[in-house]
Parts: sequence; C-alpha cells; structure tokens
Amino acid sequence: MNKDLIFTKGVKMQEKLVEIRNINKSFPGVKALVDVSLDLYKGEVLALLGENGAGKSTLMKILSGVYQKDSGSIKVYGKEVEEMTAKRARELGIAIIHQELNMCSHLSVAENIFLGREKLKSGLLSDNEMKRETEKILKRFQMDIDPDTIVGDLSVSKQQMVEIAKALSTQAKILIMDEPTSALTSKEINELFSVIKQLKAEGCGIVYISHRLEELSHIVDRVTILRDGQYIKSMDFASTTLPEIITYMVGRELKEKFPRVESKRGKTILEVNHLNAGKMVKDVSFQLREGEIVGVAGLMGAGRTEMTRAVFGVDSKDSGEIILDGEQVLIHKPKDAIKAGIVLAPEDRKRDGLCTKLSVKENISLPNLDLLCNLLGVVSRSRENGMVSKTIKSLKIKLPEDTVKAESLSGGNQQKVVVGKWLARNSRVVIFDEPTRGIDVAAKVEIYNIMNELKQQGVGVLFISSEMPEVMGISDRILVMCDGRITGELDTKDATGDIILSYATKFDKKLEDGNRESQEWRQV
Amino acid sequence: MNLAKKMKASRGMGQVITVTIGLIILCIVFGILNPNFFSGRNAGNLFRQIAPILLIGVGQSYVLITGNIDLSIGSLVGMSCMVSATLMTKGMNPWMAVLLTLFSCLLVGLANGLLVAKLKLPPFIATLGTMTIARGIAQIVNNNYNTDSIGEKAEGFRNFFYYGKSFGLYNTIWIALVLWVIFNFILSKTRTGRHIYAIGSNLEAAKLSGVDIVGTTVKAFLVSSICACTVGLIICATSGMGTMDAGNGYELYAVAASVIGGVSTLGGQGNILGTIIGAAIWGVLQNGLQFVGAPVAIRNIVIGIIVIVSVLLDVIVRSGKFHNKAIKV
Repeated sequence: MNKDLIFTKGVKMQEKLVEIRNINKSFPGVKALVDVSLDLYKGEVLALLGENGAGKSTLMKILSGVYQKDSGSIKVYGKEVEEMTAKRARELGIAIIHQELNMCSHLSVAENIFLGREKLKSGLLSDNEMKRETEKILKRFQMDIDPDTIVGDLSVSKQQMVEIAKALSTQAKILIMDEPTSALTSKEINELFSVIKQLKAEGCGIVYISHRLEELSHIVDRVTILRDGQYIKSMDFASTTLPEIITYMVGRELKEKFPRVESKRGKTILEVNHLNAGKMVKDVSFQLREGEIVGVAGLMGAGRTEMTRAVFGVDSKDSGEIILDGEQVLIHKPKDAIKAGIVLAPEDRKRDGLCTKLSVKENISLPNLDLLCNLLGVVSRSRENGMVSKTIKSLKIKLPEDTVKAESLSGGNQQKVVVGKWLARNSRVVIFDEPTRGIDVAAKVEIYNIMNELKQQGVGVLFISSEMPEVMGISDRILVMCDGRITGELDTKDATGDIILSYATKFDKKLEDGNRESQEWRQV
Repeated sequence: MNLAKKMKASRGMGQVITVTIGLIILCIVFGILNPNFFSGRNAGNLFRQIAPILLIGVGQSYVLITGNIDLSIGSLVGMSCMVSATLMTKGMNPWMAVLLTLFSCLLVGLANGLLVAKLKLPPFIATLGTMTIARGIAQIVNNNYNTDSIGEKAEGFRNFFYYGKSFGLYNTIWIALVLWVIFNFILSKTRTGRHIYAIGSNLEAAKLSGVDIVGTTVKAFLVSSICACTVGLIICATSGMGTMDAGNGYELYAVAASVIGGVSTLGGQGNILGTIIGAAIWGVLQNGLQFVGAPVAIRNIVIGIIVIVSVLLDVIVRSGKFHNKAIKV
C-alpha cells in the first residue's frame, strides 16, 4: 500500500521525524480515520490537506496526544511510541497550535506561554524570569506584544500570535499548525511565514493545515491529502498544481470556485437610512433589492459586523431608520428583526451561531419554534422532524443523525447548520457575516450556492467578507466600509482589488493612530 | 509599567479598591448612627466576628477561582464542631481531637475534588451531596444531640482558638490572619496557585498545557475544607460545646465574602485580598445593623441584597468589557 509515501523528489532523503502507519480512530457514530498514514521529515513543511471532516485535525490530535488512537502505529525519531499522551508528546518535542484559540484569557501573555511548565526559583514562581524569556521569544519572532498584557484584552490575531509563540517556546522539533492564519492579518501572515522558514532551516518538521491553498506556495515542500478519513495521496508540492490538489481533496473536479447565477433584480426590499450605533457605525445608508447579493468589503475593524448587529437589533441603535418593503420597521431586539423577516448568520459560529451543546436538530428548530408549536406552546415533533430533515437534505449537511451535538461537526457543516436554521422561514433579507471563514473549498462553494439559491428566490442577501476574491466573485454590488462609514459603492463589473482597497483605506490616517492596530487587507 | 496596567495584571484589583471605598463609607455611616461603633471593645468583637467569615471566604475563593463552587463548607463547619466536641467529651486529648477532626474534614474535601475533577460531576451537585452527608455526620456522631460541655481539660484548646490574646489581638483573629497569609502566598506565588487560576480561566487550555487538572482541583477543595474545619473548631471553642447546626448557611456567607471582594463565580478571576474586604463588609453590616437594633431577618435581607448588587455590578462591568472586545473582533 502506501507506495507513494516513500517517494522523495524535491526533498533530500532526510531523517524521518514522524512515521504514522495505518491509524484508525472512531468516535460514536463516526469513523474519523481509516488506515491513515503520514510521514514527516526533518526540515520540511508538510501541508496536510483535505475537506472539512476529512480527519486532519483528528490525526494531528492523535499525534499530539489529545486523542488516543484505536489502532495503528506512531514512530517518532524512528522509535515506536505505544501510548501517546499530551505529556509524552511534549517530552518528544511535539507542539501543536490548535485551530481554536486555547488560551487562559484571564492570565497574562507570559503566564500563558509558560503555563504548565512554569519557571521556578526555590519552589516559587519566578515571574521576572518568565517575563524575560517571553520577551526574548516574542522579539525573536518580531511580535510586538507586551508580556504583561492580559490575553483576553488582545485582539484575536494577537492571541493567535501568542499561541504560536507558546508552541515555539517549547523548542519543539515537530510543530503542528492547525489553521494558524485564519485570524491573522496579511502582515502577520508574512511574519509567520518568515518564522516558519527560520524553523525549517533549524531542522524542525512542520505539519501545516490550512484551507487557504493560495498560501501554500510560500512555504510548503510536500502535501499529504486526506478525504473522508482516508489517506489519498502524498505529493511533492513543486510537481503538482492547485487544481490537481483540489481534485484529490474533493474527489471530483471542482468546476467553479465562484459559481455565479444571474437573476432579475426586483424592487428595493431593505433600506437603511442614516444608521448610527456606537462608535463603529456612523451614518450608514444603503439599499438592498430583491434577488441581489450585496457584498460588504472592508478591513477588519471597519465596522461591518457592528453594522449587521445594529440592523439585526443585537446592539442598540443611536439613530437611523430601517425600511422593509417600503414600511419602516422598529427593531429593538433580534426577535423584532426575525419577525420582520431579517435574519443573521453571525461571524463567530461557536459563540454566536450555535448552541454547541445542543443537537443539530435543536439548533435548526430553535429560531423556528413559533412555526412548529401549537397554541399551547407544545412543539409538534413531526413538524420539527420534517423541517429539520428537509434543511439537512437541502444543505447536504453530513452527519450520522440529527441528534448529534453541534459541537461534534466539522467547521463547514457547523456553518451550514448556522445558515440552515434560518432557511426554514421565508425571510426577506439574509445577512451572512464571514460565512466561509475557516471552511474548505468545497464547503465554500456550497455556501455560495446557498446564497445564489436565495438570490434566485428573490431574497436580498447581504454578504460580509474579508476575502476580496469571494466578495468580487459572488456579489452583484459591493459596499466598502472604513472606520464605521460606507466609503464606496460599486457594481461588481467595475470593481477591482485596487479600487476596493482605496475605498477601504480612505481614513487610513485614523487606522494608524496608536489605539488601533493597523490592519491590512488580506490579499492572500 | 504604568499603574493602570499593573492593576489590571493583578487579577481584578480594581474591584478591591471599589469595595474598600464601600467598606469605609459603611463604617462612617454606622459610626454616625451609633458612635459606640468605633469603641475599642466593639472593634475587637467586630474583628472576631469577621475572622471565621474571612476563613471560609478564603476557602470558597480558592474553589470559585478554579471555576467550581463548594456548597459543603457550612456543613463541614458543623461536622468539624461536632466531631471535635464529641471526641473531647469522650475524654480524648483536645489536640489529638483537633488532628482527627482535620483529617475527617480533609477526607470530605478530597471527595469533593475527586467527584468534580475525576468523575466530572457538576460541582453544584457534588458538593450539594457532600453538604448533606457532612451535616448527617455532624448529627450522628453524638446520636443526634448537641454535646455536653467539652470541660476543663479543653481550656487550652478554647484559649488557643477563642478567648486567648496574643499581641493585643484575639487568637481567633491571628489564626485567620496566619492562614490568610499562607493561602495568599500559595495562590500568588506558587505553581499550584497559577494552575488554580488557569483551570478556572480555561480548563481545556490548561489541560492541553499539561496542567494536572485533578490534582489542582483537589488541592483547591482541600484548602476549602481546611478553612471550614478551622472555623468549626473556633465555634466549638467559642461555645465550649458541639452544636449540630453550627455553620448553617455559611457556604453562602463564604460566597458572599468572595464575590463582594471581586472573585468571579465564573472562575479565573479575583484574589483573596478582596476576600478580606468582602468578609469585612459582611462583618460590619452584621455588627452595625445589630448595633442600630435591626433584627436578624433584616440583616439577612440586607446582606442578600448586597451580594446580588455586587455580582450585578461585576456582571455589568464585565459584559461591557467583553462586549467591546466582541466588536473589535
């Protein structure tokens, strides 16, 4: 079997750091990994690729001792490791940067970096030493972070950098990075890449998981592809192409990255006039018509999410009016918005989008219970099952049964649940806030298709995204926000990256002022 | 490093300052209502009233910072009181009785820790169970009767825990202070202390960083049981006998002292300097209201309101903070 595992073309035959053979792992109801194998050599970056739910994270959690394998073998530095625990992995020099941020938000940067291996001086914590060490690590990788800052006060991207610094500070020889760039700005991504190159030169082996295939060319030597929990192929990165990789990942050829459908734009559905809310939404006005997708572009911190929250009634509005189908509607809380027919699929799936401990079924029916229950408030089980199974089917959500907890799904499938819970209602306006963050290519296309379908049904779709290609690829019209204001509006056919960027940085001086981190547009 | 940042880095010192100001205002108000409030005699009594609440507050703070709660504290106080008194009335050497009592309380603390961290029971349920069990033990050790006087032989014991004075202060106060210093040191200067904050802040992150979750949780519950045990001994020494319902409701006083002092019930935040102030506010309210002639019922109602208001303030401050952050993301 694993014939192509042994080949090496671009990389010199090097010392093998990790050799994984025929790993199997099942979770209740799901076979997560079936006979999966993987090699990692000294001084290389291996991209571990696959769709959501392909088993990448599971495999890496087994390698780092978070999960236990059911069967198979793991050799590290040529030696068989019988039972891999988190502790054993650390001793072996295996460090993992998890996809989800795993920080103690009440502790400082230095305290987090040394958590579990605190420096002691005669039995007591030596905070000064840990601080000095932290400064050194942060400096070495050119991260501009104060070791005394409480982690919870840092922006998500800085937290991610701290997480990376934490893994690097262990002097690990085998580094696993699970979606390290999903929350980083392009400047930070570049910093990360130079760190990775530095580590490679020092002889570390790095397993790199990312959904942003465009990134790979900067750093990757080899790729290993998984699909549905099975090993598919390992290749030299130089001898392959992205379309080929995608074909292996998806198992079929992906025709279009950004499927576009045309539909007739009808009358104006939603009109937002002079909306002000807090510091981040200033005098925002726009219109949304039947059957169109309006993209909202901008830098991180431009106020896009805040704008949607104000429209949806999560945050209170200072002034402004919202007109739906020609009539002014008063929206003080999300319930008002839902009643009026405006729904929101929020940015942070786990925090705002799902009750992760509840089942998929309960998540989908939660906002629709008013449609499912009788006068006494008793939920009709048959109506609920009908609605849920229809949603699952139409969105192709992959799951063993609808009673599994939402937290057990992969990112892409979770996102579909977030979207799916709104589709059962006949909403007039659907707002998608970063719906494709952290999900794979094929799942992205499925999300685009859902938006397209809504568009064809005459729904108005507001699509917020930080990734320029998808905004330009999917929207009919693009609004650009900067510093809480709408600074530009253009038709997609007139849009170029440069124009959008110039609108998005209109108040660039403000961005540079000390308080706010200068965020850069992600062009990756 | 500027002051504001230092405050931030020291885990919620902001609230400590706020409640200290509150405490001062309370003292002034009671001082005006009744000038005797500030008399030396009342001050001595006041501190002696505060000491047990400070102790159980420290215990509860430890557990709260790990993100759990210990409801068994009050019953453990009663158990400690009854076990020690019963042993002494049966003729055992008082210090031997103290050791055995401490041992039995540590067992309950160990059980709490293991039930929560190892068997993963929700702390509310696990300690609700041990609370009932400990109260049952308090009742059964002397066949469902309060004990007789612990007698002459126990004078040394009573002197040590209650009426003796050292350096002008009642021993009870010294005991509370010494334990506070030790536990504050552990919490702020040792690895165990750091881990207690870490598991309360983010259990998963702590686990993945190699923190011993079970060990650390057990230690926090052990501290809680040591504190409760000491308070039981103080009550036994105070009344010179064992009472079965000693410590009734103390678990909630402990939560009150912790929370007023800025310890978050959600874990990861607070410090036991705040618990001193929290316990002092509780004590001043009790003592001051008593002084102006308010009945017990009114005192309970006032303290309940104070607890709710202080948690409410905390929640408002915090939600404001996290709200802004959510938007920044």
